[in-house]
Amino acid sequence: MPATLETLPKGHEFPPTTFDLTREWVDEYIRAVEDEAIAGLGADVVPPMAIAALSIRALLDHAGLPPAAVHLGQELDFQGAARVGDRLLARARIASRGERQGWVLMGVEMSVQDGAGDPLMTGRATVTFPLQPGSAP
Amino acid sequence: MKTLTQEKISRYALSAGDSNPLHTDPQFAAATRFGGTVAHGMLLLAYLSEMMTAAFGQRWLSGGRLKVRFRAPARPGDTVTADGHVTSSEGGRTLCDVECRNQTGEVLVSGEAEVTV
Repeated sequence: MPATLETLPKGHEFPPTTFDLTREWVDEYIRAVEDEAIAGLGADVVPPMAIAALSIRALLDHAGLPPAAVHLGQELDFQGAARVGDRLLARARIASRGERQGWVLMGVEMSVQDGAGDPLMTGRATVTFPLQPGSAP
Repeated sequence: MKTLTQEKISRYALSAGDSNPLHTDPQFAAATRFGGTVAHGMLLLAYLSEMMTAAFGQRWLSGGRLKVRFRAPARPGDTVTADGHVTSSEGGRTLCDVECRNQTGEVLVSGEAEVTV
């Protein structure tokens, strides 16, 4: 059972996670977000926000979000386009962690590269959740 | 413009692998400070990204930057409109203010996008 985010300290690095961008998954993602623009760039082009979603999924695979967690902000920097069939490697680390008035404020840095090691995306998510007994300092 | 439904939010949850009950479990979400399920912030960002893709094409995918704050929850039944306008364009960089609003005009997400042109 994975740890929950609230138990992890600043500096924690999540194990790198690999994703294969299958046609099935990409098509399902495009349908889910109703993206009508991406097809104009080519049938195999993957929406950049799909890469961002996968980077967060990599995080969630290793640490569950507290049920009351709220996503406060997001920074994303797209460095390259991914295509159907690409194998991606996602990394994430807890870059900051603070507590205030019973809430934890956490910044998580994420990066994704393609199979050749070229960067596709970097980003930072800011989340908050209630401080629980036993949370990491 | 997109109209959110619980079905769409749940579909996104499955696709993105984020099944936080705040998004997918109406009974759980009703007991939170939100009073009901809310859409994933990343779903709203996908709407912004679609707008940026339509405006800038490949340049958004390779060289786009986005920095946003989530201001208010988007709920099932909301109609979400993504909007943006160019605030400056110089030195090969175009800056845009971007936002998503609901049907009452409430800002759900706001921030800045940047594209290399």
